[in-house]
Amino acid sequence: MILTDREIQLAIVKQLIIIDPRPEAQAISSTAVDLTLGTYVNEFKNVQLGTNELIIDPSDRDFQLERTLAQISEKRVIDVDDGYLLKPNSFVLAWTKEHVTLASHSRIAARVEGKNSLARFGVGVHVTGQTIYAGFVGHLCLEVFNYGKVPIRLRNGMRICQLIFEQMMGTPGKGYPLDFLSVRMKDTF
Amino acid sequence: MRVRTEIVGIGQHPNETVVQIMTIDGPEQLVVDQQCVQQQSLDIGFPVGQHDEHYLIELPRETFRGAWRVWVDRSMIVMDGEF
Repeated sequence: MILTDREIQLAIVKQLIIIDPRPEAQAISSTAVDLTLGTYVNEFKNVQLGTNELIIDPSDRDFQLERTLAQISEKRVIDVDDGYLLKPNSFVLAWTKEHVTLASHSRIAARVEGKNSLARFGVGVHVTGQTIYAGFVGHLCLEVFNYGKVPIRLRNGMRICQLIFEQMMGTPGKGYPLDFLSVRMKDTF
Repeated sequence: MRVRTEIVGIGQHPNETVVQIMTIDGPEQLVVDQQCVQQQSLDIGFPVGQHDEHYLIELPRETFRGAWRVWVDRSMIVMDGEF
């Protein structure tokens, strides 16, 4: 069940949803909250490992996601005047300006969706449908891609994505003590 | 409840940090918000499964290898306030 604007605002007042800085009134629509772009993007670069092309193997026991990202991308500060130019067919990681917390006991999850206004020019903000769950704390990391033909200027503080909040049916297992769940197995899953 | 963690690196965002958790299958790493790490541990709610001295816990984010839930030894679990 999707939360309406009134329920979103009530959840914010009750601190079931914490968005810092708090969104302005015009950022909340009937069923979503707009979030804005933060200060940094991570720009990917072409990487060669000696004479070999770099291959990422996420299943490898020694795979280091952050270290690999640091190796193949560079942090860029979005220029205050010029912004950041997202060229056609290019991909960056970006983060929301807002820090989001969904209280563990909130029974609220949220889907991260793009903005239609940007999507019509080919800009997406997630590679996979990103959902955040009760207990989430942090800035949202967005996978921003320009599928279009025209460069897009990204600016700090621009509307970049929206959060659609949904009520969870019940509290997940981690919200209950083990004895209550009567779960004592290893092979069931 | 909380699970013992070790900070092993910095995240891509200034507010993020990389932590490592020792599971029964070896170390797993994940990125979390710095606020989540308190006294070298992460809040995990209650374990969602148990087998002998091992607990199945759900982490606040995916590990680098894509797991949300991992098995840890009982000794890795800390009760809130018990440090």
